[in-house]
Amino acid sequence: MIATKTISRRDFLKLAGASAGGLAAMAALGHGFKTLSASEARQQQEAGKRVVYTACVMCPAECGLAVEVENGVISNIYGNIHVPYNSGTVCAKGVSGLQLVYNVNRIKYPMIRVGERGEGKFKRVSWEEALDYIATKLIEIKQKYGAESVIMDCGDVTDRDPYYYLFRAFGTPHTVEHGSICDTPRRHGPKLMFGGKRIEPDIMRPVLVRQPDGSLKNDYSYRTRLIIYVGWNPFTATRINYESRGTVEAKLAGARIIVIDPAFCNTATKADRWIPIRPGTDADLFAAMLRYILENHRDDDPFRRYIDWSFKEYSQGWEEFEAAFRSWWDRKDPLNGLPYFSLEWAAERTGIDAQTIAELAHTFGITKPAALVWGMNGIGHHYNGYVASILGTALNVITGNMEVPGGAIDTELVKSSKGGKASGGDFLKREVTRVVNGREVKGKIEELHMDGYGDWPAAWDDVVGDYPRRFIEGVTLRYGPFRGHRYPIKAYFIRTGNPVITGSNTQKWIEALTAKDETGNYKVELVVYIDTVFLETGLYADVVLPEASYMERMSLSDIYPVHPVLYLRDFVIRPMYESKTQYEICWALARKLHEKGDPDIQPKDFWEKYPTEEDFWNEALRVAPGRPNTGEPLPYPNLPKGYKLLGTPDSLEAGRVQIDDEKKEIRGEPLTVQWLREHHGVAVWPMSWKRFHGGGVLQTDSKKVEFVWDYTVEKDGQVQRKGRYAKYNKLIEEAGETPPSIARLGWQKYPSTFYWFETRWNPYTNPDYAKYREEYPFQVISGRIHHAMSGTQMVDWLGRLPTEDLWMPLNDERVVEEVILGENGPTPTGRRVRIPRGTWSIGVIQMNRADGERLGLKTGDLVELETPQGFKTRGKVVLVETIRPGVLRLPFGGGGRFSPGLGKTWAFQDITPNHNALVDPENLSPIMGQPAYGDVIVKVRKLG
Amino acid sequence: MRPGPVSIVTGMKTGGYVPGSFRVWNWENSQVSFPEEPQAHGGHRSFMLEIEGKLRSGAHAMVQETRTRKPDLATRRAFLARFASGIFASLIAPAAAQGILDQVEAAPPGAPVGELEPPPELPEAMSGQHPVVRMMEDLRRALQKPVEQRRWAMVIDLRKCVGCYACTVACISENKLPPGIAYRPVLTETRGTYPHVSRRFIPRPCMQCENPPCVPVCPVGATWKRADGIVVINYDQCIGCRYCITACPYAARSFDAGYFYSDFEGGQPQPYELLPSPEYGQGRLRRRDASPVGNVRKCHFCLHRIERGQLPACVLSCMGWATYFGDLNDPQSLVAELVSQPNVIRLKEELGTEPKVFYLV
Repeated sequence: MIATKTISRRDFLKLAGASAGGLAAMAALGHGFKTLSASEARQQQEAGKRVVYTACVMCPAECGLAVEVENGVISNIYGNIHVPYNSGTVCAKGVSGLQLVYNVNRIKYPMIRVGERGEGKFKRVSWEEALDYIATKLIEIKQKYGAESVIMDCGDVTDRDPYYYLFRAFGTPHTVEHGSICDTPRRHGPKLMFGGKRIEPDIMRPVLVRQPDGSLKNDYSYRTRLIIYVGWNPFTATRINYESRGTVEAKLAGARIIVIDPAFCNTATKADRWIPIRPGTDADLFAAMLRYILENHRDDDPFRRYIDWSFKEYSQGWEEFEAAFRSWWDRKDPLNGLPYFSLEWAAERTGIDAQTIAELAHTFGITKPAALVWGMNGIGHHYNGYVASILGTALNVITGNMEVPGGAIDTELVKSSKGGKASGGDFLKREVTRVVNGREVKGKIEELHMDGYGDWPAAWDDVVGDYPRRFIEGVTLRYGPFRGHRYPIKAYFIRTGNPVITGSNTQKWIEALTAKDETGNYKVELVVYIDTVFLETGLYADVVLPEASYMERMSLSDIYPVHPVLYLRDFVIRPMYESKTQYEICWALARKLHEKGDPDIQPKDFWEKYPTEEDFWNEALRVAPGRPNTGEPLPYPNLPKGYKLLGTPDSLEAGRVQIDDEKKEIRGEPLTVQWLREHHGVAVWPMSWKRFHGGGVLQTDSKKVEFVWDYTVEKDGQVQRKGRYAKYNKLIEEAGETPPSIARLGWQKYPSTFYWFETRWNPYTNPDYAKYREEYPFQVISGRIHHAMSGTQMVDWLGRLPTEDLWMPLNDERVVEEVILGENGPTPTGRRVRIPRGTWSIGVIQMNRADGERLGLKTGDLVELETPQGFKTRGKVVLVETIRPGVLRLPFGGGGRFSPGLGKTWAFQDITPNHNALVDPENLSPIMGQPAYGDVIVKVRKLG
Repeated sequence: MRPGPVSIVTGMKTGGYVPGSFRVWNWENSQVSFPEEPQAHGGHRSFMLEIEGKLRSGAHAMVQETRTRKPDLATRRAFLARFASGIFASLIAPAAAQGILDQVEAAPPGAPVGELEPPPELPEAMSGQHPVVRMMEDLRRALQKPVEQRRWAMVIDLRKCVGCYACTVACISENKLPPGIAYRPVLTETRGTYPHVSRRFIPRPCMQCENPPCVPVCPVGATWKRADGIVVINYDQCIGCRYCITACPYAARSFDAGYFYSDFEGGQPQPYELLPSPEYGQGRLRRRDASPVGNVRKCHFCLHRIERGQLPACVLSCMGWATYFGDLNDPQSLVAELVSQPNVIRLKEELGTEPKVFYLV
């Protein structure tokens, strides 16, 4: 019989259970079973076991895994020791992955909404019906409003290539991911000045190093002498896996660790010094450090030789940057009357005494090699994070720490490339025609981009935080050939993302997704939610599609090692229920669109070109590693220096290559899925340092570190405008319009070098908010727990781990009417589940004990937090010594969770705080539009 | 429902056409007939599927090369059930087309019964060694000795424990522990007043004491210390009196009250709850009315893994590379080196239990 019938849970267990487990299934259900002898059991177990090398996705670290499968069931998750990124280790989230894969609240079938968005009422449909519905609507929307009115948001999971490919072919430039609601201010300095993204310390061990005798060997030694982590908590975030073992091992090898954070996070527990800085003042600290170094550096005094002038060999514009920076020194801060960036000024702002700041600057200047590293919940979450990021980057550069062994490495510049043509970038260059103000205009699809040619020309990550406003108001392009073109947003696809909780203010997102026009229809006519887990955003979807979990699909991971490493995500078990891989979903939708006559979807681009999943991912692998043969020691001494490396490690090693002197490429045998399967799932190319010299890995226009971002060069008698801001400034000049977000700062265009502006909602640094000091005495920040953003809180094991005074077993006893995600959405089962007191960790509010006692609070009291704008949330306080007074810390994604797909976490939504209920929806940071999650002030009221 | 071969077709490997012998697994005795020679099509196969007298054109199905190993029946059946759907047939190419599943299953399963797991092949080190490789070599050496000459010990470097709980969860996963039992929780000690605060993480497995207080109190002799030092429990002998729990000064023992994770969600046991537990090599399937429910359980240094030359789960998962394991009787072992250092302590030293878990501070 064809399996289109509904499969009951009982049948499913019989189908998917083990052969030994099949017996177990029957046993647990109370039927008789044969008792196996110990050796029989063991033999059966052995016979049915296998190990698959794959990649995790419980968080964006995406570590390499070795997954044990017993008779078709995932049994254990270990680390893949051949992947140097995690080198065999695996964190609590990684191990718990099987509880996400087998979770009862997993999305099992396609569903279409019945009732209003947000009610959670769905009906199960077949894939045929769901895809037909979507394709019909997409074609209709394209015809009426243009493909640009469709957004394909791929959330925060990086294996999104099939979606990008499909939707770019469809004709929309809005293929987006959640970088811009993650931490773009934090990345801004490296991106602007290197073309990179993330500065990390050189502590990933082992690294594969070319030896003088030509062999390749693993180096396990550490040379770092100092690491300063600012607003970065790798021990709990585990986002850069090697920073756990690397930090403690480097420390034992002689490195000093300094942690600068308002809270005593887990990383601070191993620090030689914890400096509890006031939230939102990291830029102030960095500015003071830079001023101190510039004022006190002495070339002729080894005790004061902070600056390593060799940085000028691979940089340009330093003099201009320094001059702009110094120009602030004579000005007085209107709030405290002190000269900008002086020690006294910084002490007053950061809450750290001047002596400590001086010592910090001196220590960083004099200790080499060192790395200044900053993070997401710190600099990334503040309106003026860009300033801090630029200053921090400058500090690492001028002290000579970039790219030296034991120093700091921009991991974006040195990681392996992947994607290539499989991302569909070529489609964005297609020419289209639009009628703008009565005129016909021609241009490329990418020039229709709502941010790049709209309000956010410099936002190289799409501004997801601004989507609520866009959904309601629509888009008007300001720049480029389509200037003046207006279009609404009519379709929003959201895959593996949860913007209702993570995308800026929760209420604003709900309003935008449920907003209706005058005819009573939803403004955004089509919302499609694609995921394995059912999160809050799913409640507002019209169509829900079950995507195969990360254990059930093939793809490639975006990771941050210190040299090129690439590994495969592979099928561990078959897709469960009716879930499909991204490739399957996209190819099926493509077929539907093609059948319905969409002219942009052609078989030659889809199933004729990539008939199988493996073909598609082989295309994505063709560009690997895509990094130059550069640095010391040279990765491949027998191959041309500086040429781009392409191909498998063994073919490059053996010289089985073709040299293209015109393109300056070295082409070995292309990396393939099959090769990876034969090599423990991973390709590792050699490490090197000093990769900034001679251009190397830098991705700026000049191939140097740029301290000036809008400049002219003369080439062949022509004057050309260069620098990362130059492109945007040209758009501004052509249109004669300044983007509103920077006009707010008083800028006409993007500055050409160093700039300074204040963060918002900070009564201690920004005069506009000084008046709130008394009534709203607490600054609110967020911190990491052993979960990944908002997507793993249904996992039982992780729910039982207390973390960092943020996620604590303070639940009251509850008897819950069980709700399970069934065929028709969240459905009561009639079971009542008792959750005993103190057995489940819930999100709590971390508060300094002295503050709490002054307010008459004790640990476990329920309080309400309220911002000056009237936004509120509630939660239990935990009074501790491990946080700065005047600061509250909430777990990111840890509270107020109203999707039933979150199981026990959902049961406690009323007493757990949602950080994003408090965020100011208008507080999108100026250049990249990142919601400033860390710019929040509240007053506290005890409840009950 | 029993599978049965219906017809034999030739098949192919990736990128080429190689004759071989295959079987098609059906379900519920449906008649499935295939053409003798499928069309070669750039690595992709199409078939005509005749099911219950009806032709499903363009249906894609997976054919599996016969293997001597017992095949993975249930999931292939489920796979075919999904893909043979006529409705979906023409829409997509199967994600796992020819060869993929074969190759996924071809990965080595781990040490066959009776053999020791070899240390992983990593690139040679400039100096030193990957700690896991070192410990696995130590382990292999120890397993050459008679069991009474081994003395298993664990060393946990508290300077490197980052409080990540990977070990806690890896142990729960490896030993298939139910809700309410954690063999290796991580204690958190916080001291001081702001801003002079400190916090330390202390993973606490069973100490495998030389003088274990839990052993003499057992009224039925269900627990004892093995010749190699591990204190074990005979679940069938244990009557669940919990006297040993009271006796242990480290609170290292737990009572199994019989919960399933699905008690709190869904009601029907999840697949991973139904996998046999590997503890003591016994392969017990979890039932509410059978041992070890109603018994006491504790860390046993992953004895079932050690015996096969594999390191305990907590050692492998440790994010800080802070957990070490080996044979203390071997002066060449890593653990012997580490316990000779002056900054070694043990918990509750004054009780005279002589733990075999050492901490570096």
